[in-house]
Amino acid sequence: MFLAIVVLLLYGPLLILALFSFNDSIIIALPFEGFTGQWYTDALSNPVLLEGLRNSVGVAFVVMPVSLLLGTLAAFAVTRFRYKARGPVAGLIGAPLVVPWLLIGVGALIFFNRINVPLSLKTITLMHITVAFPLVAAIVGARLVRFDRRVEEAALDLGATPREVLRYIILPHVMPALAASAIFAFSYSFNNFVISFFTGGFEITFPIWVFSTLRHAQNVPIVNAISTLVSVLQVVIVLVAWRLAAGSKRTGGSLDADAVAGVFAGQVK
Amino acid sequence: MATEQLSLDPQGKPAATGRVGVRVFGYALPPSMWLLVLFGVPLGLLLWMSFQHRSITGTGGFTLENYQAILSEPAYLKFAWNTVLICTISMAVMLAIAMPIAYLLAFCVRARYELLLLLLFVLAGELNPLIRVYAWRMVLGREGVINYTLQAIGVIDAPIDVLLFSKLAVIIVLSTTYIPYTTIPIYASLKAVEPDLLEAADDLGARFSTRFRKILLPLAAPGIFVAIIIVYIPMFSEFATPALVGGTSGSMIGNAIQEQVLEAGNWGIGSAMSFLLLVLSAAVAFGGYRAARIKKLEAGA
Repeated sequence: MFLAIVVLLLYGPLLILALFSFNDSIIIALPFEGFTGQWYTDALSNPVLLEGLRNSVGVAFVVMPVSLLLGTLAAFAVTRFRYKARGPVAGLIGAPLVVPWLLIGVGALIFFNRINVPLSLKTITLMHITVAFPLVAAIVGARLVRFDRRVEEAALDLGATPREVLRYIILPHVMPALAASAIFAFSYSFNNFVISFFTGGFEITFPIWVFSTLRHAQNVPIVNAISTLVSVLQVVIVLVAWRLAAGSKRTGGSLDADAVAGVFAGQVK
Repeated sequence: MATEQLSLDPQGKPAATGRVGVRVFGYALPPSMWLLVLFGVPLGLLLWMSFQHRSITGTGGFTLENYQAILSEPAYLKFAWNTVLICTISMAVMLAIAMPIAYLLAFCVRARYELLLLLLFVLAGELNPLIRVYAWRMVLGREGVINYTLQAIGVIDAPIDVLLFSKLAVIIVLSTTYIPYTTIPIYASLKAVEPDLLEAADDLGARFSTRFRKILLPLAAPGIFVAIIIVYIPMFSEFATPALVGGTSGSMIGNAIQEQVLEAGNWGIGSAMSFLLLVLSAAVAFGGYRAARIKKLEAGA
């Protein structure tokens, strides 16, 4: 019962938002005036909104692979070797996870201004990678820590080259974590508002479009329509990922723990 | 394992096993350099900027006037007070809700539902937060679902205005946005508790309050610490939520920083506020860490 109320608080407002996206009235208020798909056609023919969506998806598709690469390197550097600089390196990689994004955004704005780099989608992308890859490092690192090094040693003793060990032993072990990281990095970037807002100049991303549209208008039906579409897509992506992870679980992976580790490390905005 | 172990001398050169040292740097260098340039330098500049006179180039020489301006301006202090008030109430509300949820999830719910509910929580955290903020406007507004329902069943005659564009609205929206991030770490640390331990305590006649204080709270402490770090600190720097549902009475430091930096172009004051926010965050992190340690020690005693 208690759990049901909490789930209702989490999802109820979103359902109401979705219901109003079909309401045949420019004013968002009860009672419902009838069914329409007009807000969806309006939303999908709004050029500024479409540009924002294109930009957000484009940025996220760059952020995802670069963050995976940097995050995995960082995870290896922190978990697989012992050396004097390991503490500072780990601290540096963990720091962006606990510093509020607002400060990273303001700092980056000043930084790009001082070195005369104009704000653009490129600066947004650079800063998204900066906050996303430490999260990847945390998720992949959590998985690497649970890796049994004896398996690796056995493979080496049996004559495998380090490259083969990486390809056939370590990579399959971290695969679920990499999959989880890919999704987190993508949605981190796609959902990010604060950092884009400060480092984007006049560029529009989807969250920036939502914010500036809602800032000056009370309720806007096309925001309901596009929000519903985007949320449904996000739900589908997460469900598919969860399913895939459940599949790999039988073969020894466990995404839930890695997903939990990811949420551990993740800030919302 | 010994083959992988190496040590660096203070100059940073690999001591004996040179080739392994090179490998470490291959892994550690790219991410470290990236963060030094795009994270370290910007934060350093932020600190430097907060001590600069205001001028067009931003380099007017060292000054404390930005900090003085903040501390002597009642409006800013009001923002700061609002921020602490809103974040603390939200955090308390979330902990009060998250702890029973985590307990139910970890010990009371069947495995099938446990995974489903966990998925619902993770999923809620993945959805776009701005969309959630907007959704609440439709629930809390003058013509919103709550006011409409209450008027329709005759509980109130006129809409309740305090529901939206108020501190209350910010607290409601923040609490529902961050609750998954509060619940999951606490759940994870409770999950590590042996159910036998609780049963043993039960068998030995411990009442629920005793079990809660002596077993659950100490063991949940690391999770609570993580929750405070990843929820309380980001809430301090919120500005989208208060901007969209806070109105004038629910504005927070984040709004003041955004206004100074992006609208007034006063980077000195904006940076100084940001830096004070960072200090506040660090204090919270340290306080949370200490509290979690003390709980752990109590458990050991």
